[in-house]
Amino acid sequence: MRARELIQETFFRRTYIWIVHVIWLALYGVFYWLFLPDTPELGQFIFIWAGFFLALALSAGIFGDDIASGRICVLVTKPFWTGELYIYRLLGLSLQAAAHLVLAASLVLVLHAIMRKGSVDNLGVWLLASWLLFNTCAALSASLSIVVTRAFNSLLLLVLIVTGYFVMGLLTMYLRHEASTGALASFIRYPWPPFELLYKFAAGEWGQYALTVGKYSVTKNVACVIHSLMLTTAYGVIGILLLSRRQFSRVRD
Amino acid sequence: MGHDGEAETKTVECRRLTKVFRRLLASREKSVYALREVSLSVQRGQIVGLIGPNGAGKSTLLNLIAGLILPSEGHVAVCGHPARSIAARRGLGYMPEHPVFPGLYTARAILQYHGALLGLSSRAVSLQTDRSIEQLQLQEFIDRPASDFSQGMKQRLALAIAMMDDPQLLLLDEPSNGLDPIGIVQLRDLLKRLSSSGTAVVISSHRLGELEKLTSDYIFMHRGRIISFADRIAANRAGRLRVELVSNGPDIAARLLPASRVLDASDTELVIAIGDPEEVPDIVSHLATDGARIMSVLLERENIEEVFLRLCNEGTQP
Repeated sequence: MRARELIQETFFRRTYIWIVHVIWLALYGVFYWLFLPDTPELGQFIFIWAGFFLALALSAGIFGDDIASGRICVLVTKPFWTGELYIYRLLGLSLQAAAHLVLAASLVLVLHAIMRKGSVDNLGVWLLASWLLFNTCAALSASLSIVVTRAFNSLLLLVLIVTGYFVMGLLTMYLRHEASTGALASFIRYPWPPFELLYKFAAGEWGQYALTVGKYSVTKNVACVIHSLMLTTAYGVIGILLLSRRQFSRVRD
Repeated sequence: MGHDGEAETKTVECRRLTKVFRRLLASREKSVYALREVSLSVQRGQIVGLIGPNGAGKSTLLNLIAGLILPSEGHVAVCGHPARSIAARRGLGYMPEHPVFPGLYTARAILQYHGALLGLSSRAVSLQTDRSIEQLQLQEFIDRPASDFSQGMKQRLALAIAMMDDPQLLLLDEPSNGLDPIGIVQLRDLLKRLSSSGTAVVISSHRLGELEKLTSDYIFMHRGRIISFADRIAANRAGRLRVELVSNGPDIAARLLPASRVLDASDTELVIAIGDPEEVPDIVSHLATDGARIMSVLLERENIEEVFLRLCNEGTQP
């Protein structure tokens, strides 16, 4: 009962959430219709929109709204481990993303059947990568939401990620051989949401070409999936610790 | 609110609670002492009113009991368990001052949601929901989105949530905010019923008149300290004795009473300051014996507002 209610709440908590799903699905349709719909392009589009921007939109204020309004005070006085609140909400986001990606795949396949444009051969791998990216971004955003009130968690995450990649891009361009550039690149690549690793995983940029498995390297891909799940877990554990230890008080009267 | 109640009847026990708020990177001197060494206990079935001016520490005390914040020093126990523990929360119902509900949820869905958070079965949630609808007159509003509710309706719904699963302790922050007069009477009756069935209720409120109709147990707080337990001063609650005489009021006052106690003296009426109501028979007897012809006697005791103002004034004295 509790798990179901907390999971459902992630969808029903704000009116705009179902609108976001509809708009995002419409965007995939428009992209397929207007642009060359080969898997890499379509996959990249879904990877960024569903894996990153959807995570930001759905997790905006997931705890921050409750903290700002004081509603969290009622929730954390209920007799259950506070970590459950985090886990089920994150699970709710993850299930929404899974359902969203299934709908996205159905939409693309229907459009492909009607319009017969391009190829959708590796769409499944892109969707898996998108879901993994969504989970890491949602976990990080949810954890930020415990310390940043209202919906600023998503904005902060957007700024952090864009800035991180921008700085890394600049350093790679101008200071490629510096040790600090290598360290930053490693930092961006491993403890941050794994955009680059999952992109390579989905685009098949690892391993040698083989007739049976294309360019995929099973070992590296499994490692990439495990890395992504570990990051989600690590962000989640940080979030649970923050939520369990945080003190909630709206007024100091 | 005694310190001397038996341990097993204590629903809340606070020992030497101190809460200091300090901003990140701020110096120790800039710390705000919201509570200083507060000790109290609330017995089973007791209704206690927390009273004090803004900034007195009432909400901080409620938050500490609810486990929303941690004490800087001291200890809080709810139903014998440390506050904030799951066991303590099992016996707790909390109603915030400004309840907020998620946008798309109806009142029924919200009650079901909170019932589920309490770990109730769907059948128990359904029974609790029906009971809350009846107790708090929610029939008309139960299937409407709670975001459309007036403040009074939100308060009723928040109270219904706090009361789910019959908590042993109810913490209510300004529960009558926005309630209409009928709602206030219903709330009062409901809290009295809960109290008689053993639920302890702690209410923080600025509506002293309402509180006075509900309980005679108050905790007066000022600048983070408890400045008086009202049950201890109840017997000594200051008051005025109006004595209606046939004549010669000023003369009788001058002869028989210390000047400091005579608040007013007209020909037919004396107003005498009373510290302890038990003095009244002696004063009346003294006046009558020494020649005052008394027509009537009326004891006017301080109401809770006057007590509050007096205690605040005393609390602000150096």
